Amino acid sequence: MIEVEHLSKMYGSTPAITDVTFSVEKGEILGFLGPNGAGKTTTMRILTGYLPATSGTARIAGFDVHENSLAVRQRIGYLPETPPLYPEMTVEGFLHFVARIKGVPAGDRSAKVKAAMERCHLQDKRHVIIRKLSKGYRQRVGIAQAIVHDPPAIVLDEPTVGLDPRQIIEVRNLIKSLAGTHTIILSTHILPEVSMTCSRVTIINRGKVVATDTPENLLTQLTVGSGYELEIEGEASFAKQILHNVPGVNLVESITASALPSHTPIQDGRVYLRVISQPGTEPGKEIAAALLRTGFGLYEMRRISATLEDVFLQLTTEEKTADSTEIAGEAA
Amino acid sequence: MGIVLSNIIAIYRRELQSYFVSPLAYAIAAVFWFLSGLFFVLILMGPDGILAAVAAVDLQGQQFGIPVPPIDVPYEFMRAFLDRMGWLLLFVLPILSMGLYAEERKRGTLELLATSPVTNWAVAVGKLLGVLTFFITMVVPLLGLEAIALSASNPPAPISVPLLGHLALILLAAAILSLGMFISSLTDSTILAAILTFAVILLLLFLDLLAKNINGPFGEALGHISLLKHYNNLIQGIFDTSSLVLFASYIILGIFLTAQSIDALRFQRQ
Repeated sequence: MIEVEHLSKMYGSTPAITDVTFSVEKGEILGFLGPNGAGKTTTMRILTGYLPATSGTARIAGFDVHENSLAVRQRIGYLPETPPLYPEMTVEGFLHFVARIKGVPAGDRSAKVKAAMERCHLQDKRHVIIRKLSKGYRQRVGIAQAIVHDPPAIVLDEPTVGLDPRQIIEVRNLIKSLAGTHTIILSTHILPEVSMTCSRVTIINRGKVVATDTPENLLTQLTVGSGYELEIEGEASFAKQILHNVPGVNLVESITASALPSHTPIQDGRVYLRVISQPGTEPGKEIAAALLRTGFGLYEMRRISATLEDVFLQLTTEEKTADSTEIAGEAA
Repeated sequence: MGIVLSNIIAIYRRELQSYFVSPLAYAIAAVFWFLSGLFFVLILMGPDGILAAVAAVDLQGQQFGIPVPPIDVPYEFMRAFLDRMGWLLLFVLPILSMGLYAEERKRGTLELLATSPVTNWAVAVGKLLGVLTFFITMVVPLLGLEAIALSASNPPAPISVPLLGHLALILLAAAILSLGMFISSLTDSTILAAILTFAVILLLLFLDLLAKNINGPFGEALGHISLLKHYNNLIQGIFDTSSLVLFASYIILGIFLTAQSIDALRFQRQ
């Protein structure tokens, strides 16, 4: 449905994106994840025909975004970072206007506007002037204008930014309800959003795609797997040595006081350690047994599991690998 | 073609609607009506007005027994009034045109228009027609004033000259608005757009004066592209196709530059 091949964009001599390649199948939600300034908005603007690419191609429903710009624009719904709204118009009037310029035939317009308002729960605000709407409602109007002409492809640039938690959940549910019939690209820098809404994730950093996969696969590929956090009494280096010899343990590292949750009471003589297990193993029992056998006091043992956040940090932070080896060396 | 027309109408209606709900537009209309009404009364009945001047000439003629050449009062009045109106446009139109694109850029709605299946041309034409329609609605009440004044004329005043004059007023406004629209597309600051438009119109209006002081073919050429010269010809009832061509050229130039500037914006956008 959406095919992006070797897309590059230069602003003068600064590359905004370099050789970006990915594709989205029909009915899929692709999460476009990256830190601020990674090139997410640039990529989306190229997809919607707002910006021309320096090189590479992007096709939507088989139409090249540059060569068949008008055909693409008819088939795409786009919510930019700031929803493009005319504050003096009513919700319904605005959606009618958008339906019209998107080429919805006159006979279908009322039905489509009504459907979009229902989808976005805007019926009771239909006669309200957009200026008087709250941020959450404006965002919904923004989404409604992106779907009013029932486009096969929808591009949403940070659709949940600036919303309160309840509105975020509503918007996410709305987006999920659009999958299947629509192909969606959604950019965000909020990680839980991706694992909750998207079927696939493309991670972009400094204008380059660093990974494309399902959220689950990204998690299992992660070298920073799951493990345990321990609070024990005894000597740190000895404990690390013991733990390192437990089968299934990959890595043992100290947790510095600043990295602990703020409510943790730090006590003298206590050592805080993080044990990372090998993927697919659960050495909890062995860890506890080894510690008790060697006479350590075990005060707390808490399971930790890797989040997409770890994947993201690992893929977008270059220093990360250096850190890990250092700790591994220290532990050995 | 049908789609293009439908798009133009959609843009036109939205633009026009935005003026009718804008307090600024009403304020502009109010100031415009006040000033034009003031001009109207002063030109007609003020101490230096047409009626007083004609009466004085008539009186002199009677005193010295010299026959006075007849003065076409309705004609002289309309000419003087429309001349002042031309100057009033200089102040009113930049404020009407300043938001045409600058506002869209500021709000991010330009991104909506640019990612919709609408060409830049259609957007520019729709917008220009919208603002021009609002301007025409501002002029319409003045026609009532003029009708009252001219109906008192004896013999009845011919309708053709005022008609041509008002056509000229609207053409002048369209030319200025078209350029104002282009200037508005260059910036996302409405104030800057208004000031720049004011400066450019001032320059264009003064081209005529400038041209008179420059000898040779260059001065002559400059005179030909002066908006004010052609406007003055039309309000005097001198109908010349070249005037219509000139106004149309300004209008098309403005639309063309606007479409180009929006296109260029997408290439340089950071």
